[in-house]
Amino acid sequence: MPTAESVTPTSDTVTAELEPVFHVCGLARIYGEGEAAVTALAGVDFDLFAGELIVLLGASGSGKSTLLNQLGGLDSPTRGTLHYRGWDLGGADEPGLTQFRRNAVGFVFQAYNLIPSLTARENVALIAEIARDPMTPEEALHLVGLGERMDHFPAQLSGGEQQRVAIARAIAKRPEVLLCDEPTGALDVRTGITVLEAIEHINRELGTLSVIITHNAIIADMAGRVFTLSDGRLVNVRANTHRAPVRTLAW
Amino acid sequence: MSILDRKLLRDLRALKSQALAVALVMACGLAMMIVTRSLILSLTTTRDTYYERYRFAQVFARLKRAPNFVRAQLAAIPGVATVQSGIAIQVTLDVPGLAEPAVGLLNSLPEHGAPVLNLPYLRAGRLPQSHTARTELAVSEAFADAHGLKPGDTLSAVLNGRKEFFQLSGISLSPEFVFEAPPGAALPDNKTYGVFWAPYKELATAFQLYGAFNNVALTLAPGASEGAVIAAVDRIIAPYGGRGTFGRENHPSHRRLDDEIRVLQGLSIAYPVVFLSVAAFMVNSVMSRQVALQREQIAMLKACGFSNAQVGRHYFKFSLAIVVVGVALGTAGGIILGGKLVAMYHLFFRFPQLAFVLDTHVLVLAAAVSSLAAFIGVAGAVRRAVRLPPAEAMRPEAPASYRPAFIERFRAAHWFSASFRMALRNIQRRPVRSALTCLALALATGIMIVPNAFRDGVAYVLDFQWDVVQRQTATLSLVEPQAARAIADFRHLPGVELAEPFRYVPIELRSGPIVRRMNLQGLSAHATLSRVIDARPQQLTLPERGVVISAKLADVLRVKPGDFLIVHTLEGEERDVTVPLAGLADDFAGIAAYMEIHAVNRLMLEGDRINGAHLVVTAAKWSEFLHAVKNTPRAAGCVIKASIREGFRQTTAQSIGLLQKMYMMFAVIVAFGIIYNSARISLSERARELATLRVLGFTRGEVGAVLVGELVLLTIVALPFGLALGSAFARGILSVVNTETVRLPLVLTPANYAFAVLVVAVASALSALFAARKLANIDLVSALKALD
Ligand SMILES: Nc1ncnc2c1ncn2[C@@H]1O[C@H](COP(=O)(O)OP(=O)(O)OP(=O)(O)O)[C@@H](O)[C@H]1O
Ligand SMILES: [Mg+2]
Repeated sequence: MPTAESVTPTSDTVTAELEPVFHVCGLARIYGEGEAAVTALAGVDFDLFAGELIVLLGASGSGKSTLLNQLGGLDSPTRGTLHYRGWDLGGADEPGLTQFRRNAVGFVFQAYNLIPSLTARENVALIAEIARDPMTPEEALHLVGLGERMDHFPAQLSGGEQQRVAIARAIAKRPEVLLCDEPTGALDVRTGITVLEAIEHINRELGTLSVIITHNAIIADMAGRVFTLSDGRLVNVRANTHRAPVRTLAW
Repeated sequence: MSILDRKLLRDLRALKSQALAVALVMACGLAMMIVTRSLILSLTTTRDTYYERYRFAQVFARLKRAPNFVRAQLAAIPGVATVQSGIAIQVTLDVPGLAEPAVGLLNSLPEHGAPVLNLPYLRAGRLPQSHTARTELAVSEAFADAHGLKPGDTLSAVLNGRKEFFQLSGISLSPEFVFEAPPGAALPDNKTYGVFWAPYKELATAFQLYGAFNNVALTLAPGASEGAVIAAVDRIIAPYGGRGTFGRENHPSHRRLDDEIRVLQGLSIAYPVVFLSVAAFMVNSVMSRQVALQREQIAMLKACGFSNAQVGRHYFKFSLAIVVVGVALGTAGGIILGGKLVAMYHLFFRFPQLAFVLDTHVLVLAAAVSSLAAFIGVAGAVRRAVRLPPAEAMRPEAPASYRPAFIERFRAAHWFSASFRMALRNIQRRPVRSALTCLALALATGIMIVPNAFRDGVAYVLDFQWDVVQRQTATLSLVEPQAARAIADFRHLPGVELAEPFRYVPIELRSGPIVRRMNLQGLSAHATLSRVIDARPQQLTLPERGVVISAKLADVLRVKPGDFLIVHTLEGEERDVTVPLAGLADDFAGIAAYMEIHAVNRLMLEGDRINGAHLVVTAAKWSEFLHAVKNTPRAAGCVIKASIREGFRQTTAQSIGLLQKMYMMFAVIVAFGIIYNSARISLSERARELATLRVLGFTRGEVGAVLVGELVLLTIVALPFGLALGSAFARGILSVVNTETVRLPLVLTPANYAFAVLVVAVASALSALFAARKLANIDLVSALKALD
């Protein structure tokens, strides 16, 4: 697997000469067979580059989660090309996918998915057991603005705090890619903003390629590029000339 | 089929391996219950019909010699229905192919007509007849089997000092000798002890008893008092050398069979209770999880108007399905095991036919108790389900809250890995469930200890008997008791380093109404080969006066050292001698009586006489020794210790081997079932957590380790606890099993413990691996779908 390059382009500097992190071509995912077959992704093409912040929009059932899961190595495509830095991620076997997730990807879900029996610090420290060059849990938690409350169990934390712990855990391994599926879906506006700020901060500080799924079009303003999916197809790609700071968003 | 039942079937299909694990544990308990109850039924019905058809007597008496007219006096006692008198006498046998002399108990058949009580059952050939060219004998089946004897074979016996030849006319059995062992022996030794039947005339003539009898058996009229009849018989036979009258409860064969049934009765309750409790716990954990998973469904059902009873019944039916499978498997297992155990009983108890009879009542009972166990298991879970207010249940369960585990307060806890902490905290969060899982694993370990403790106990007894008590290499016995000078001849045999004389006299030992038959063993006070060992355990020096008996025999006779006993000699001039009880011997196999050899001679009113000698022979001259023995005319037989020892080892290995396999299977099923079930439940409860770990990049193996870490910890805690529990089981069972006839010491060896630990650890590990395979099926994407 290729190592992460040190180049950290912003959306403004994206050029064709740069090697993409993800190269996606004709990507399709069909669930089931025959009569019952459901086409979740009907062939999408795009490239994603290092340091970008992408927002994925689309109606419910349009295939956003399916696409994100393909990028994160949680699921394999039915058809099409999916390359991660020139490596055939779409055709990888189970151990290959596990290594990919272990070293290259951080996930954040709507349901925070923290381990209830571990404290915030320990949830992050868990990564240290498997990652090659992890941050200390304290460092990761500071990055998401959770310096205190490190020794609380998930049940003792608010939703926003739990989600920030989840982000800290996702980035503690210094992943190349951060994939967030409706990270603010279960949160109120104010808490949602703190969470998005954490993601934005990481994208800027560490240059982590971040993909955020949301139903909320306003959030799209923080992105460099906004992808819109409909019925499993990529119907629109919009590049923001100006990335709005999260703080200024309101919904 | 109602929709709810259809749901039930689908739920069951989803949980089939867990349901099967529970059903298997349940089946173990039921199989044990079915086997033991059916064996009790088989043994009692076979015994009762055998006793009835072949007219087993109810009261027995032995005497020296009474003229035949006394029989009429006995028959006239109020309450006596039938009387049969005859001769029963012990003789020394010379069996072809057997180096040592065997002992035969010869019973007379009536001179005129057929026997009226204790009828022999003919297996082959015919009953012996008078006036044939050569005197005929019928032989017991056990002895015939041990020596491969058939009708037509010949055999010689020493009758009243004269060697006579007999022809075997047939092979038979008798309700009097269902358990056929020398007086006082714990295990049947069919090579050296046999029962025979001979025509009255031949036997009476040989022993100068013609026109008289020395043995009487009788039955009681309905409603008669056994005690009164025994007292009356005693009074009548007293002038004729009466040696005690006893009922069935003191009849050696009947008592041994009764002991066995009592042990089975104990097991028929203890084991099912243990296994069904474990099964109840497993049902509870499966159902609790099921109810937790179906919170929303339960709420929906109730919101739709289903009553609490309907919902409760639905989940109860679920566990009933497990019961049905458990009962089916248990019955099948019980029938298979029962067949094997019955075959094993054939080694000990001889019936015309002992077939495994399935106790059908016990099937109903089995279904009832396992339903009860399932009901107890399911009740708590269902109560929680129906109590749930619908609105509450519609919401997902609140996230589990955790605390740092207790032991993390210690400084070393700093080094615990995250997965170890997860395991500790999970255990602590569900203390009851963890404790019960631990207990069930401990039970599995414990039941493994029992058969091996038996095996080691038997080995200990054999070692004790042959290394501590009997230290000779060989025992030479004489045809007839001879002057002590004979020992000089033995000392001159090649290779003999040491020779110590012994005198064996068959006796009856009596204290009040209780009588036991055995050999009185006369040994030198300071014998170094065949020794008497006390409870300390140290060699007991036989005193000049008095008798030393097995501690257990003293219990039976209700005497203590210093009390007096009546020794009735059964050799030569029969007489009663009162002797003091001088000490107690700590021995295991059966019952025995010892006396200083000269004291025996005085008791027998004889000079220095011996029956033979115990010898130490150098290995270097062993073959020369054997050769010389064969050419010593006076030596009736030579018992070689090593070969007897091997014989015993094989018989016991055969029966214990079967038990061992059975218990090991049970232990494996419980360990496997418990671990599998627990692993599957954690897998279900923690699916999201485990999926998260996979998403974070943990490999399947690493996640598997997190899943089973908790179980590994519980197993580690359970093992030592199980060893303690098993030791307690073994002690408890031995205290029930230990009787006058069979006694075993509690011997617990490191090898026993190690094996139990190994079996349970391996079974647990395999089952955890088996359950962890399910990790491959976790769908990462759907497990992480947002909570709705
Ligand atoms: N495991 C599956 N089996 C069958 N069909 C599936 C499966 N997962 C998703 N689908 C279908 O694929 C389509 C796309 O689903 P996906 O979860 O990607 O949508 P989404 O855009 O993330 O929607 P939402 O905004 O509601 O999360 C949907 O029609 C869905 O029903
Ligand atoms: Mg989605």
